[in-house]
Amino acid sequence: MKVRKGRGGTVRIRFEPEEAALVRTLMEQMLDLLGDPPGADDELAAVGITDRATTPDDPVLARLFPDAYRDDGEAAGEFRRYTEMGLRDGKREAAGIVLATLADAFGAPGTSGDDASGPLAGIEGGSPAEVELTTEHAQAWLRALNDVRLALGTRLDISEEWYEEAERLDPSDPRMPMYAAYDWLTMLQESLVQAVWQG
Amino acid sequence: MSSAPAPVELDRPDIAEDVASDRPWLAIVWNDPINLMSYVTYVFQAVFGYPKVKAEKLMMDVHHKGRAVVASGTREEMERDVEILHSYGLWATVRRDD
Repeated sequence: MKVRKGRGGTVRIRFEPEEAALVRTLMEQMLDLLGDPPGADDELAAVGITDRATTPDDPVLARLFPDAYRDDGEAAGEFRRYTEMGLRDGKREAAGIVLATLADAFGAPGTSGDDASGPLAGIEGGSPAEVELTTEHAQAWLRALNDVRLALGTRLDISEEWYEEAERLDPSDPRMPMYAAYDWLTMLQESLVQAVWQG
Repeated sequence: MSSAPAPVELDRPDIAEDVASDRPWLAIVWNDPINLMSYVTYVFQAVFGYPKVKAEKLMMDVHHKGRAVVASGTREEMERDVEILHSYGLWATVRRDD
């Protein structure tokens, strides 16, 4: 993975195919977690309101959609009723932009079998590729990467000293791949922030 | 902007205070171990249009003091700011100034 400035304020990120596949998988998992948008026949939802006003039980969803009032459950519930749907839409949209960017650069998932270079072509095999992000898309990437880091970090119960903790883990620990993904996403996000700042 | 007042607990406003609508409300951002310092600074600049020096000062307040008041205004304005901060993944809350 390499991040650099492109022309006209764009940001370019070069991904290895397996890195792009990792980002794609994580974004798809985020979309699964966020769930489907409400149906068109939901009248409250049509104006951005839900009847769900309680803090989500899943700690990841509770972190993605935190209570806006610490000591006033009623106010926190009202805030949630009027904002959570819009926030979910925004997070779905950001993850969707990341997936669309990757599909443009690496081809859509599931289409690699048609490729002349064989069944391993496309995102899982094949060559590195570079995505080019407008400022607007770079911001969507930043938000979507941050959402995924929040999800992984919450699942791992990350602390300020997580790096030292991860170094002491047994290599066969089942959490190791999640730590590795978190570490890599952190580097990517840091590089992307710096690149957007220079723009 | 000064740092957040020391007490964490909120006094529930009584009815007499509730109608005193000229008291400003605050948007507060809390420290968490996941959000990057650079990203938090970037968000303060992007959301509030703060110059980098001010955004960095607020970020350092969040990091070292555990929280910082990042904006003040009407309740509606602060709820809107907090909603936007949530869209960026920051841990933000609203409360009445005391």
